[in-house]
Amino acid sequence: MALADQLASVLIPEAQLQARIRELADRISADYADRTPLLVSVLKGAVYFMADLTRAISVPITMDFMAITSYGPGQGASGAVRLIKDLDEEISGRHVLLVEDIIDTGLTAAYLLRILGARDPASLRICTLLDKTARRIVDTLPIDYRGFEIPDVFVVGYGLDYRQLYRNLPFIGVLRTDPAAPPP
Amino acid sequence: MPEPNGRGDAATTRPRFAHESEEEFARLLDFYGIRWEYEPRSFPLERDDAGRVLESFSPDFYLPDFDLYIELTTLKQSLVTRKNRKVRRLRELYPDVRLKIFYGRDYRSLLVKYGLARS
Repeated sequence: MALADQLASVLIPEAQLQARIRELADRISADYADRTPLLVSVLKGAVYFMADLTRAISVPITMDFMAITSYGPGQGASGAVRLIKDLDEEISGRHVLLVEDIIDTGLTAAYLLRILGARDPASLRICTLLDKTARRIVDTLPIDYRGFEIPDVFVVGYGLDYRQLYRNLPFIGVLRTDPAAPPP
Repeated sequence: MPEPNGRGDAATTRPRFAHESEEEFARLLDFYGIRWEYEPRSFPLERDDAGRVLESFSPDFYLPDFDLYIELTTLKQSLVTRKNRKVRRLRELYPDVRLKIFYGRDYRSLLVKYGLARS
């Protein structure tokens, strides 16, 4: 069965996705016309968004990537998020734009803001493709660029996964079987 | 040994949680370095003529850095309805209190998101 056949619906078609990314890129290009921002993205979910967004930005930029541990099974009571891959570049005095695939609870973004903010950038903003506010815990995030506000559904595709699958779909889809549905 | 005020943000100060979901939620907050307190405040909702509290509501968590209360509701629907009524009343009486409710589906979504849901 093809990946796309396992979806209940397409939430954001590829054309709409790409059109919105070009709009975001235009705004970023205008806002950073006199600066060279460093776009920072987190592996792996934001890879496709980062690739398409940066190619649509018309001003000079640099980019870098981070990777952090995710909360999950086996985390002991004293487990804490930690960097798996740190930035290669220094960010002190630079204009940093954190590029996220989705902001859901906001816990990951808040952690990243804390560690990036501690490195004394000249500015620190967030660009997220998807903004799912239904379960937001940290609601003080400086989201300056927002692609789509989405409803409380489990989305996959365009970098977003369910058990590491579906990332390579070129659109945002909703899983046919809702993993969060109550048990029978 | 739990602290009497239910404050926590480290493995050494765990309060006695009423439900497994609350303990898991506390671990999630700890993981991301979010400070929390467990049931630190009880909000009176109804009093009798003598001023005695007849009904109150104690949200599960308080996140001091965000001035936000969080209530986890993983109960069956009949109990959720009762809790919803309490939440509505709390918002009427304490409009400045910021409260976020996580219903059963929200909580299950969190478990799925973090790979904790049972298959």
